[in-house]
Amino acid sequence: MMRALLRSLMASGFLLLAAPALAAGEISVEELMEQAADLAGEEVTVEGELVGDYGFRDDGWMWTQLNGDVYVREPIREGGSPHGANTGIGIRMPSELAEGLDPPGRYRSRGPVILATGTWKYHDPERQGESFLGVESLVVVEPGRQLSEEADWRVIVSGALLISGAAATWFARRRE
Amino acid sequence: MLIRPVGDDFRVIAFYLGRIFLVIAAAGLLPLAWAAIAREWNPFGSFLLMIGLFAVLGVAGVRLATDESKLNWSHGMVVVALTWLIVPVIGAIPLLLSGHFGRPLDAFFDAVSGLTTTGLSLLADVDHLASSLNFWRHMLQFLGGQGIILAALSIFAGTGGITLYFGEARDERILPSVTSTARFIWAVSVVHLVFGVTALGLVGWLVLGFEIDRAAFHGLMIFFAGFDTGGFSPQSTSVGYYHSAIFEGFTSVLMVAGAMSFGLHYALWRGPRRAVFANLETRTILSTFGFTMALTLLGLAATDIFVSVAGLTRQGFFQILSAHTGTGFSTVPSVELAGWGGLAFGGMAIAMALGGMGSSTAGGVKSLRIGLTIKTVVNQIRQVLLPEHAVVGTAYHQSGRKHLTPNLIQSVMTISLLYVALYLLGAGMGLAYGIPLQAALFESVSASANVGLSVGVTDPSMPIPLELVYMLQMWAGRLEFVAVFSLLGFLYAWARGK
Repeated sequence: MMRALLRSLMASGFLLLAAPALAAGEISVEELMEQAADLAGEEVTVEGELVGDYGFRDDGWMWTQLNGDVYVREPIREGGSPHGANTGIGIRMPSELAEGLDPPGRYRSRGPVILATGTWKYHDPERQGESFLGVESLVVVEPGRQLSEEADWRVIVSGALLISGAAATWFARRRE
Repeated sequence: MLIRPVGDDFRVIAFYLGRIFLVIAAAGLLPLAWAAIAREWNPFGSFLLMIGLFAVLGVAGVRLATDESKLNWSHGMVVVALTWLIVPVIGAIPLLLSGHFGRPLDAFFDAVSGLTTTGLSLLADVDHLASSLNFWRHMLQFLGGQGIILAALSIFAGTGGITLYFGEARDERILPSVTSTARFIWAVSVVHLVFGVTALGLVGWLVLGFEIDRAAFHGLMIFFAGFDTGGFSPQSTSVGYYHSAIFEGFTSVLMVAGAMSFGLHYALWRGPRRAVFANLETRTILSTFGFTMALTLLGLAATDIFVSVAGLTRQGFFQILSAHTGTGFSTVPSVELAGWGGLAFGGMAIAMALGGMGSSTAGGVKSLRIGLTIKTVVNQIRQVLLPEHAVVGTAYHQSGRKHLTPNLIQSVMTISLLYVALYLLGAGMGLAYGIPLQAALFESVSASANVGLSVGVTDPSMPIPLELVYMLQMWAGRLEFVAVFSLLGFLYAWARGK
């Protein structure tokens, strides 16, 4: 109970801190992808979950993916229903900005939800045409967390029974 | 008169299907072990269930055994067609139980797409999918690209092997026996696997800064999907996820290797390497790649999407290589690909439709057929232009000097026309559901030629009839029609024969 309250307070605090970033033109990841060309070179703020890997490169940048889809709020592992593919963009930030971030979202883990502000690089000529958000500042809206998974024993037992049955039949035939 | 199949026919078919299912059950132990090591217990249970079903069906089929030498051409084709239908049905169980699909048909769609090395997907939230399920999806592409039957043939040798081998859309036997050919193909693949995973894994670890185990995971997944021209990827942003020209470079090498015929691999390994460039197929694919690349780059240059030559070249090259090899990787999102009109769209669509080489893991009409079609047309024109009694040469070079025969021309033209009809079928279906012509055509060609690039039509909200048509296209396109028509003929004879 206390932990949940603390989390809510932290989230509220982060949101308050994010107020200046919100002013920088907050849009959803989906809108950014739809207006990708129009927003080239613009400063934008997007909210989403960090997923995949944190690629800390030797040149001082960290690359990862920011998803802004329905699964950020309703993970499938927590009963969310499937609503199609992910909506994500590549993001790049200075390595020091990424230090201390919770692990990225994967199976059984929800990555941190951040509010990222930066310049939208659309087919950046300096990166031979890659598109990504060059993050300059970020605010953690929700920390990352582990998601639970309970094994379905009925499925495991059914599978084991089928394999046992097949093996028994196979060996019985060989004995004939 | 149509002869109705009798009990022995069904028993022979069941026997061979049973053997193949047992091989797939054994292959299923790999994702099962992966799930156990990763402690992913839900996928573990679903893999156990899948293996159990394959094992039960396999043992049941083998128990019906009669004399295995009775497998004839028709039986072999039916076995191949049914294998490519039943394996995805059971192989879809772990996907379905993952909770990442809205309806069972969608999970089946993904399994068909994986096995046929297409790469279109209805999977929701791939970015949070269990690693063992990702492994299974990509392994399906590996099994499908190599050929499930081929996998079985390299384990059990049988008198019916030759029928099964050709039924799976392979038109050349590299070594004297089918079993040794199958083993050679697997040897080529294993060598590529070792080098591919090592190279991609090292790039991921040393250049991209991934953790070492994650670098190896990405390397393995991209190898499976790249070498087998499948196009699935462990992240929703496909190869664009890696933001690395070096990674794209190694992936491109794998895509090219996958789109090359295994006969060409053999020639490059054992024979005089220069001779392969005299082959009609090699020359054709180099020409069509150059042509479609030029079209796409010109089309993109006419827009203001890319402001640098380096950007245009890198992005254009990767997308067109992915399309022509039938892989389906991309570094731009589908919403952007949908906006590529004019020449860029034309270049991509043509590249997808033409496909890779015969007897490779790629789909599409295939380069040798394109080359032979062009040669036939040129010969016809020359025949008209030359004096009446002039003799027009019919020779062409393809692993030695060969001649265009009327039978060969008929076969090439028939299959090529069937592909065109398949492309139009899906496009027509898409149009009927109100999808714009360009998008309907792009997606249809992508499904039929087992490419997997999408402009957003393939979506969980798509109409079920359209989904079924795409599945039919993937299945028929991968098997190059013959096995499919044999199955239909077999069923018709069963229903109407005497």
